[in-house]
Amino acid sequence: MKKLKGIRLVLFASVPLVLTSFSLNTKSKVKFPYAQAGLTDRQAAAHLLSRFTFGAKPGDIDNVLEMGLEAWFAKQLAGDLPDPIVADKLRMYDALQLTNTQALDLFPDAGELRKMALEEGVITKDSLTDLDKKEYKEKLKAYALSKGFREVKELHRQFISQKIIRAVDGTNQLREVLVDFWFNHFNVSVTKKQCAMFIPAYERDVIRPNVSGKFENLLLATAKSPAMSFYLDNFSSVGINERFEKAANSKVAKKKMAGKLELTNEQMAQREKKRKTQGLNENYAREVMELHTLGVDGGYSQKDVTEAARVLTGWTVYPMGKNEKAANIQKLMNKVGNEGLANNGFVREGDFLFAMNRHDSKMKTVLGHTFGAEGYTEGVDLLTMLAHHTSTAVFISRKLAVRFVSDNPPQSLIDKMAKTFLDTDGNISEVLTTLASSPEFWSEQSLRAKTKSPFEYAVSTLRALNAHIKQPWQLNNWITKMGQKLYYYQAPTGYPDKGQYWINTGSLLNRMNFGLAIAGGKVPGIAFDLVALNNNHEPESAEAALPIYARLMLPERNLDPTIKRLTPFINHPSLERKVENASKQKNVADSLSGIHAMDDDAATNQKEKVLNEKNMLAQVVGIIIGSPEFQRR
Amino acid sequence: MVSRRAFIKASGLAMFGLGIGGIPLFIMRAAAQSKIISPYKKSKILVCIFQRGAMDGLMAVSPFTDPYLKEARPSLFMNANSNGSLLDLDGRFGLHPGFQSFHQLFKDKQLAIVHGMGSPNTSRSHFDAQDYMESGTPFTKNTSSGWMNRAVGLLGHDGSPFRAVSLTNSLPRSFYGDNPSVAISNLADFAIQAKGNKANVNAAAQSFEELYDAAGDDLLKETGKESFEAMRLLQKTDVKSYKPANEATYPNSPLGNSLKQICQLIKMEVGLEIAFAESGGWDTHFNQGTDKGVFARNAADLSNSISAFWKDLGQLQDEVTLMTMTEFGRTVKQNGTGGTDHGRASCMFIVGNDVQGGQVHGVVKPLAPENLADGRDLAVTTDFRSVFSEVADKHLRLTNDKILFPDWHGDKIGVMKMS
Repeated sequence: MKKLKGIRLVLFASVPLVLTSFSLNTKSKVKFPYAQAGLTDRQAAAHLLSRFTFGAKPGDIDNVLEMGLEAWFAKQLAGDLPDPIVADKLRMYDALQLTNTQALDLFPDAGELRKMALEEGVITKDSLTDLDKKEYKEKLKAYALSKGFREVKELHRQFISQKIIRAVDGTNQLREVLVDFWFNHFNVSVTKKQCAMFIPAYERDVIRPNVSGKFENLLLATAKSPAMSFYLDNFSSVGINERFEKAANSKVAKKKMAGKLELTNEQMAQREKKRKTQGLNENYAREVMELHTLGVDGGYSQKDVTEAARVLTGWTVYPMGKNEKAANIQKLMNKVGNEGLANNGFVREGDFLFAMNRHDSKMKTVLGHTFGAEGYTEGVDLLTMLAHHTSTAVFISRKLAVRFVSDNPPQSLIDKMAKTFLDTDGNISEVLTTLASSPEFWSEQSLRAKTKSPFEYAVSTLRALNAHIKQPWQLNNWITKMGQKLYYYQAPTGYPDKGQYWINTGSLLNRMNFGLAIAGGKVPGIAFDLVALNNNHEPESAEAALPIYARLMLPERNLDPTIKRLTPFINHPSLERKVENASKQKNVADSLSGIHAMDDDAATNQKEKVLNEKNMLAQVVGIIIGSPEFQRR
Repeated sequence: MVSRRAFIKASGLAMFGLGIGGIPLFIMRAAAQSKIISPYKKSKILVCIFQRGAMDGLMAVSPFTDPYLKEARPSLFMNANSNGSLLDLDGRFGLHPGFQSFHQLFKDKQLAIVHGMGSPNTSRSHFDAQDYMESGTPFTKNTSSGWMNRAVGLLGHDGSPFRAVSLTNSLPRSFYGDNPSVAISNLADFAIQAKGNKANVNAAAQSFEELYDAAGDDLLKETGKESFEAMRLLQKTDVKSYKPANEATYPNSPLGNSLKQICQLIKMEVGLEIAFAESGGWDTHFNQGTDKGVFARNAADLSNSISAFWKDLGQLQDEVTLMTMTEFGRTVKQNGTGGTDHGRASCMFIVGNDVQGGQVHGVVKPLAPENLADGRDLAVTTDFRSVFSEVADKHLRLTNDKILFPDWHGDKIGVMKMS
């Protein structure tokens, strides 16, 4: 009770703050039009929670009503509530705050490890043909151990654990939902080894701080991140920079003239081949238009893609890692110094490097806009232009509406959101406020219209059960089994956000089994108390438990049909017969063992009865979790 | 006559009630429809593998005598002469060594290759091109169904819930549509698993079936129905202890496992007619490699998985045709990072006893600039629909191209034997 008071206090204290930040955000005071749609306050609060959190926890509807729906929403958009439970639980993970360089140094992948082991003479070049040999593997393992290196798997285990913990226990629920949304929009994948160890920092430093601000900031931050640069290959995209080309050529010529450089024909040919094979990679340029901004029908051509790729040549990653090649480049950079780099048009921002010598210096035209030989700012201008394009406004608005309203959101809603996007310079909070204030959001068609992804399904189950996570790993295994391997979606499209993608025969059976498993206490690392959920009242029978728990788990929904349909099965004769038989058998055994054991027997019977009741309650709750109603939000 | 749905439901519940299955569901269903009871009648089976990411057809089946290719690919070009490792197919095309296990199938005329295959839509977006190829309508985005799902509808007889199976976590675009199809990533997981005794399991299963049958949401209702029907069919076999026949060894890879399970389903005779699996990692923008490297590994996985499947099938080979597909090919020129970018035409492999095997079908012109699409890519000379429709026609006897590929009018190229 004490705890509850504490929370209330925080909520009250935050009200004035909420109002000020809210009036700053919007021109007129926002009022959600749910009453016009025929919804009660409670129903509206339940709908709001179903869309902007990972599922309502017991008591959440009351909290929202107490604050006011609009104020709650604004507070969630601000996303600055204290998060003590999350902070406490994340304390046991030591790799979550590492920078990219630290991550690379501590968790080198197989390739990096091999490079270092080679350089230090632990293994020889010849042994590289025996990659699968036991002896070779053991040598590497011993080397890694001696250096204090850890497996990159461990980094990702911690990273995935934090995602689950934040989603289940985080107070800033909308922030967590938006991190999930934007990560998926700017997807990068652990399946691509080159970017894998940079993904935790990507979510933390690139996505998380930018989820509700200006879209442009999000786009620019992703473009400069090592994770994206490696994932979509832009780190390797090189153009010919005339100034550097000339300088390099004249250097070679001078050396030659002075007799300092003797190149054989073969060496010359190799130089030429290297020059020819280094070059443009249009992967990022294409996806940034198709998937991140304009959308595939956004009005660009293959020519625009190639030209945009040329604009973005030289956008790469500052050399990291302890291998010789990286160290040499770092040394060279340090020698030139920051000022020297800047004077030559280079830009370094953290792990991002704009390498002028790799940047195509000729003219380019993208979507009718001409880019001269300005170097770094060309790319910034291009991305800024894309971020503010009308097609982008529509594309992003539609994607948000698909996430927060329905798989096929009404065009009228998308139009309103796109207008806000353009009017507010791509302000994501404003676009979301337009969405939540629209009649479309509150309409009959939007209620429970979305099918939960496996992640949403699992997390909403834990929230509805008020469960405590001790160790999220087994839960993650279930999420994978149900069809969503977190951070492993290979394609840059991210997971499709529609029910059809998630629901199929195999995955549906896994969802039902998840319901039974978690309610039956068979998901290790997750603890909850079903009886406490019902204010410590234990239902008398399975039949009585059904409506009680259905309403606790699925607040503000019409559950009469569900309950009516289920009752005969919950009251299944075979279940009761089983209990009866068990006790009968027990009685037979008892009579044989003699009368003096009677007290013990009574206790055992009582214990068994309790156990059976517990199992029955678990099964009822499991069926509710696995039910079609609970698959939707 | 009892309505189909009511009958299935009744029989299904009765089976659960008994705890042990009595008569298989589809026999009862066939009886209800007063059809000849032939549940184990062998049907023809089409297996499709989508190579996601766009396979470099010019490296897979390389026109190695073409000087333009050599010029365009300084570090990726491979040769079939004594210095090269390509497997010479016909003096003009060489098979990448990663596909070595395909070589014998080609010589035995069980493998046909179609080169210059692709979509008439020039989109070089993976997402779009896959979407178009899987929907079978390269110029219409809003086609809601996949062509394989429409093929299921055209089969014209009532089928088992395992008629169309995708060995994937989720239903592929090719299977979207009104005709029942299932996605299964692991056959062994296909059951309700509840705590406690069998009565509990049955009670839980019945409860779920009842709830999903009443679901207001069509997606959940229909999928639920299919799930329970499918589950009953699988309950009888011990899928975990499967041993492939003829000493076939599947690679321990996602594709290897998928094909192994497809072979299991075929042998279990649960009524499989169209199967689908995926092979990933073909988007080789970076360090594609030649004899070794990413491409070689992918090629080995694909060909070894398919060869093992074919061996495992044994006597059943006559019933099966297997076809690969990929959304587009890759640039003729290698890019600056030892890879290739998104291009136009690629090639495909078709395995079966009714294919015109041992040939490279299709048209691949010399890769001179004037012959290239947009001045850069291998031109599409065979519309993917002409191959898909020919295979569907000759192997599955599906002749209604108006439904399979609505806006396509074209000629077939003779990749299948006349019959």
